[in-house]
Amino acid sequence: MQVYLPIAEMSVDGLLIVGIGLAVGLLSGLFGVGGGFLMTPLLIFIGLPSAVAVATSANQTMGASISGLMAHWRRGNVDGKMGMVLTLAGLAGSGFGVQVFALVRRVGQLDLVVSVFYVVVLGILGALMAAESARAWLRRRRKIPRRLHEHFWMHGLPMKMRFRKSRLYISVVPPVAIGFGIGFLSAIMGVGGGFILVPAMIYLLGMPTSVVIGTSLFQVVFVTAAVTVLQSVSTQSVDVILSLLLMVGAVAGAQFGASMGSRLRGEETRGLLGLLVLAVAIGLGYTLVRTPEAMFVLEPIR
Amino acid sequence: MTRVVLALLGLLLGALPARALVAELSQREIAVSTGFTGAELIVYGAKDTIPADIVVAVRGPQAPVVVRQRRRVAGIWLNGTSVRFDTAPGYYAVASTRPLAELLSEAERRRLRLGLDLLPLRASEPDLGDGFRHALIELKRDRGLYRQAESGVSVTGERLFATRILLPPTVPPGLYLVDVLGVQGGRVVASRDLAFNVRRVGTSAEIWRFAHAYPWLYGFAAVVAAAVVGWAGSVVFRRG
Repeated sequence: MQVYLPIAEMSVDGLLIVGIGLAVGLLSGLFGVGGGFLMTPLLIFIGLPSAVAVATSANQTMGASISGLMAHWRRGNVDGKMGMVLTLAGLAGSGFGVQVFALVRRVGQLDLVVSVFYVVVLGILGALMAAESARAWLRRRRKIPRRLHEHFWMHGLPMKMRFRKSRLYISVVPPVAIGFGIGFLSAIMGVGGGFILVPAMIYLLGMPTSVVIGTSLFQVVFVTAAVTVLQSVSTQSVDVILSLLLMVGAVAGAQFGASMGSRLRGEETRGLLGLLVLAVAIGLGYTLVRTPEAMFVLEPIR
Repeated sequence: MTRVVLALLGLLLGALPARALVAELSQREIAVSTGFTGAELIVYGAKDTIPADIVVAVRGPQAPVVVRQRRRVAGIWLNGTSVRFDTAPGYYAVASTRPLAELLSEAERRRLRLGLDLLPLRASEPDLGDGFRHALIELKRDRGLYRQAESGVSVTGERLFATRILLPPTVPPGLYLVDVLGVQGGRVVASRDLAFNVRRVGTSAEIWRFAHAYPWLYGFAAVVAAAVVGWAGSVVFRRG
């Protein structure tokens, strides 16, 4: 079933798009992440322009995350104050990221920059996650107890703030820096950033696990919403038809994934997610060094 | 379809003495809607002169492009030198009864802009033009946007001719000019100008226009649509 995408200005197989949404939704439900980091590379792989893939993926991630946010909000698992700090910093970061995105697109290096960001960010993260889950697995076997959370040098920076729900009294600088960074990556990579935000909240901020998912969803929903609007304004590359097709699959897939995920242990899930992230990084890394099929590329001027 | 075309050709033939060449298009308007997967037009007509060859050239609206050369830096492929072509047609197709080179001299073809090798593609960097111009034509050919069919015009009964114009799904919207030329002894002896329109219609056209005319509103609408679908979907699937 061919569907014409009005913004991408091309026809695609509608069932293929729904299928991609389903697959990504399944994995995101399984691992509890938004799945934008899988969506964008898959869309680029089937031939969509990088700009459309990134901008639309952010829009889709927002829709896919909203029901999770509402569920966590009802259960009181959202640290609203921390969420606001992360979101405000995230808005600044995404505003900056969209400017960089538009600039890079003008000079014709968008494909390269998107791929390099994916390879570097996902490569580091996948390796860290796989290593961490291996350590956790070993620790569990040897029964070494862990502390609740550790204080880093960065928690002692000035401008201390109390986050009651997270039971933290730390400097506001680290959450602002993290929020800004995630917002920037969200604009460049079309991801929600949950897969970076969650480990950053646990290991860098020392937030209790119970509020981490809800609070990260809070930031993801607002920042991807901002990215959607900013990309619509500066690059006109958000394709709503593509986004809605992806969401039909993603919403269904996420429910199955979530029920599958409940049967896996925490560190096993994280280990598998780490391997998946690494695989995406290696796949995109290969496209950077492989000899291209065509030595010239064509790009319309608007 | 064929019968209709032949009937129309018969009518045209009846009116022939007034002109040396008559031609018509099967469609004057191509609608690009949400389900658009490309289109096929037929240019048909009748010629008076025997023997004579027919050339049909279709030119789409101008669509400026930039051609970038892939370059390897430290093992990584990136976009290197780029050349702009501001006058490149978004679509170009030429069909003839015999290879163009046999019909007309190069000077004549250049004047009439006939043939992919003689397209008026002005490069922003004249020194680099040739390699990039060649690449542009090849890439557009791969996408079905530039075509040359050396025996694409078929002649029936020495007088009636017809050719098909294939428009791929990515065909740019705008006004398309069709030149039908009768060629005899290395000269153009008769010609007809036709035109058709490629228009975006329906929902996809509305979405495109809205996105470009009101980008802020479009962005907010995309956010609301995603939120509603995400929320509704989760309700539906939770019950199911």
